[in-house]
Amino acid sequence: MAIMISGASSPLYASRRRKNGITMTLAYLATGFGLSWLALILGVLFWEGFSGLSLRVFTEMTPPPGAAGGLLNPIIGSLVMTFIAVLIGTPLGVLAGTYLAEYGRFDKLSTVVRFINDILLSAPSIVVGLFVYEIMVAQMGHFSGWAGSVALAVIVVPVVVRTTEDMLTLVPDTLREAAASIGLPRSLMIARVAYRAARAGMITGVLLAVARISGETAPLLFTALNNQFWTNNMNAPVSSLPVVIFQFALSPYKDWQELAWTGALIITLAVLALSIIARFLGGQSKKP
Amino acid sequence: MVDVAFQSGGAASVAEQVDRAKVLQRLRLGDTAFRHVTRAAAVVVLVILSGIIFSLVYGAWPALQKFGFNFLIEESWNPVTEHFGAIAPIYGTIVTSLIAMLIAVPVGLFIALFLTELCPLWLRRPVGIAIELLAGIPSIIYGIWGLFVFAPFLQQHVQPFLIAAFGNVPVLSTLFEGPPYGIGILTAGLILAIMVLPFITSISRDVFEAVPPVLKEAAYGLGCTTWEVARYVVLPFTRVGVIGGVMLALGRALGETMAVTFVIGNAHRISGSILAPGTTISATIANEFTEAVGDLYTSSLIALGLILFVITFIVLAFARLMLMRLNARLGT
Amino acid sequence: MSMANFTVPTVTHAASNAGDLVEKVTVQNLDFYYGDHRALKSINVSLYHGKVTAFIGPSGCGKSTLLRVLNRMYDLYPNQRATGHVRLDNDDILSPSQDLNLLRAKVGMVFQKPTPFPMTIYENIAFGIRLYERLPKSELDGRVQHALQRAALWDEVKDKLGASGLSLSGGQQQRLCIARTVAVRPEVILFDEPCSALDPISTAKIEELIDELKEDYTIAIVTHNMQQAARVSDFTAFMYLGEMVEYGDTTRMFTTPTDRRTQDYITGRFG
Repeated sequence: MAIMISGASSPLYASRRRKNGITMTLAYLATGFGLSWLALILGVLFWEGFSGLSLRVFTEMTPPPGAAGGLLNPIIGSLVMTFIAVLIGTPLGVLAGTYLAEYGRFDKLSTVVRFINDILLSAPSIVVGLFVYEIMVAQMGHFSGWAGSVALAVIVVPVVVRTTEDMLTLVPDTLREAAASIGLPRSLMIARVAYRAARAGMITGVLLAVARISGETAPLLFTALNNQFWTNNMNAPVSSLPVVIFQFALSPYKDWQELAWTGALIITLAVLALSIIARFLGGQSKKP
Repeated sequence: MVDVAFQSGGAASVAEQVDRAKVLQRLRLGDTAFRHVTRAAAVVVLVILSGIIFSLVYGAWPALQKFGFNFLIEESWNPVTEHFGAIAPIYGTIVTSLIAMLIAVPVGLFIALFLTELCPLWLRRPVGIAIELLAGIPSIIYGIWGLFVFAPFLQQHVQPFLIAAFGNVPVLSTLFEGPPYGIGILTAGLILAIMVLPFITSISRDVFEAVPPVLKEAAYGLGCTTWEVARYVVLPFTRVGVIGGVMLALGRALGETMAVTFVIGNAHRISGSILAPGTTISATIANEFTEAVGDLYTSSLIALGLILFVITFIVLAFARLMLMRLNARLGT
Repeated sequence: MSMANFTVPTVTHAASNAGDLVEKVTVQNLDFYYGDHRALKSINVSLYHGKVTAFIGPSGCGKSTLLRVLNRMYDLYPNQRATGHVRLDNDDILSPSQDLNLLRAKVGMVFQKPTPFPMTIYENIAFGIRLYERLPKSELDGRVQHALQRAALWDEVKDKLGASGLSLSGGQQQRLCIARTVAVRPEVILFDEPCSALDPISTAKIEELIDELKEDYTIAIVTHNMQQAARVSDFTAFMYLGEMVEYGDTTRMFTTPTDRRTQDYITGRFG
């Protein structure tokens, strides 16, 4: 009764094989397509940016057009604002993530916060800039490095919340129960046991957040604005690498454009390094 | 402590129990405080969101009040006469994102297919990481690369070809009309496609991998080819997740600023041709905000920001809902 | 302990018609590797048309692994490979030139966990048929009905062919999977612990089904339930730690096994 209904020569089978061949080829091509853009972009970036890379870039300030100079003040500005943003955003994010993972795992508040947090994670960063403009710059009457840091912090928070929650949720309940069984109160259990178990993942989260804000330009455009000169005053406009790249690249001056490429290379290298370290530390990464 | 335990040989003595009670009492206060602090931190997330909405509405109010509904449909954007209409930025935002999705969705899905079915095991991680690197490159890099490399390339080699090829085709000739500027809506859309590609790939790959292997084996067991398994079993099973990923990518594309600002051309008008310059909401704000003079100008820009936020919020909320539904279905 | 104790079921059994035995699948010196680990050691066994062969043995003995060689399902996983010969009629299915899709059309498989596709009941069956034949709708309907009847599911679903395959109960889903397998007209059907996820009543139904189906197919069933093997099969193969310990007529295996290990397993001493 079992009849062999189609051999390798049947037309239907041939068309199925053809379709399979075509689509599998498309899959290969698509991957090649995606990877070649990566190669192209990184290739050009290294090519253009590398030639401008010199010690001067790290030791001299941004020059007026036509003069030689470096990127010292934007680099320092970026470092400082990033540092402050992480300082503000990380504790907030860790605590909120702790609530979601430990205390309020299934309650209504957590469901809503998780939902909103994930939306904030992908929200347009220029809107964040507008928000901080309204609450800080407009109120204070001037642009400032503080405002820039706060804008970056607003971007840091959702990233850290998400990774903290994910990492803490991975800690097995058996560990928690073991801690509870010796009478350890909840908060100490979290601080001593859960955080320690999830430490690598949480640090990864912070590194990813830093990588993310290192390249952010839009939130700084109208909070920290820009500053040609060196300033110690966070209460005044502070220059940052992304904003300087923005300004220099769009200008018609050749040496400014070169500096823009070099700055772009520096940012990309920093982001890549952070991502590699984060991946190395984290092992398990959750995508936003 | 050890000695005491030995001496009493078992449960703690009464005195020890009193001491312990005191210690635990102290700890309990800290414990409760900690719980409240974390709860407050979680609420802060909601506060941030409300803050954003509230401040945007507040800032946009003068413009919204002045122009009303017409703000959404007027094309003219004139700082001198203080007459502002948002249709050009809205149009630009939507069209560039559409172009980006049209390219990124099929390519991203095929890359995900490659990674899950065709790629040899040892190559999977490197290729996956490489694709993710595309997502990690800051958008300003895409911006300057687009301006100095991609746009000139399109101007010299691709756009003249497009104009010539579609010159006589009835509908498409308007779509591809005009001098080859290099920059413009198409260029911005293409760069967005490359930026958004890794998001689609990444999420699709995750959901494809979550399909129970038994299900795929059952299809292979019937003699299905790899494509047939992907199309008739994997894709329907993961459909909800893929849609969620696509919506997420769309949300990013809509809000993208720096990559687009460099290459969009900053022209406040709608034109039929995608080779023409235009503007998007985020590009407009980025370019004009710091130079905006006058409250109405600033307020109009903030109103644009509000519109963008509303659009992306809806798209991203939809995306999250889809992903939540998939997780429920998979039981994760 | 080696293969000195295995018996080849050709010559003398009382019950079966020895002359009617048609050898369908012949496994010769099959070795199987998960990476460097040798999971199957020099397996020799035969499957016969019109007969049910049961594979029993403790967990991890390799019975499911062996089954999955017969339709080269392991090919999906890069770390797994097989050496030796497996002949289906006259073709060595382990040869690299073997077309896998065609092989799997000939050798169907029913899995431990019921796996209806995310489609309607009708589509679940029609999907497989459409892979190989272009039929007008009326003929397709007939084929679907026939397959569901052979799987003893038709009466229960004939009024809801448009419902999702996932809306059926566990036992019904498994019968749907059997119908799906039967619909593509294979020559061999492999059952990998088909009843272990089902309740006793569904189990009984499926055992009945296997008994009806065997007339037209070559059937192999892996089961950890010895009573099921005794009820359902004509031949039984006992495996232990990757080796084929003993293999022969079911009645004889269960009453007078030759190998000590078989005896111990059947009487419940281990596994």
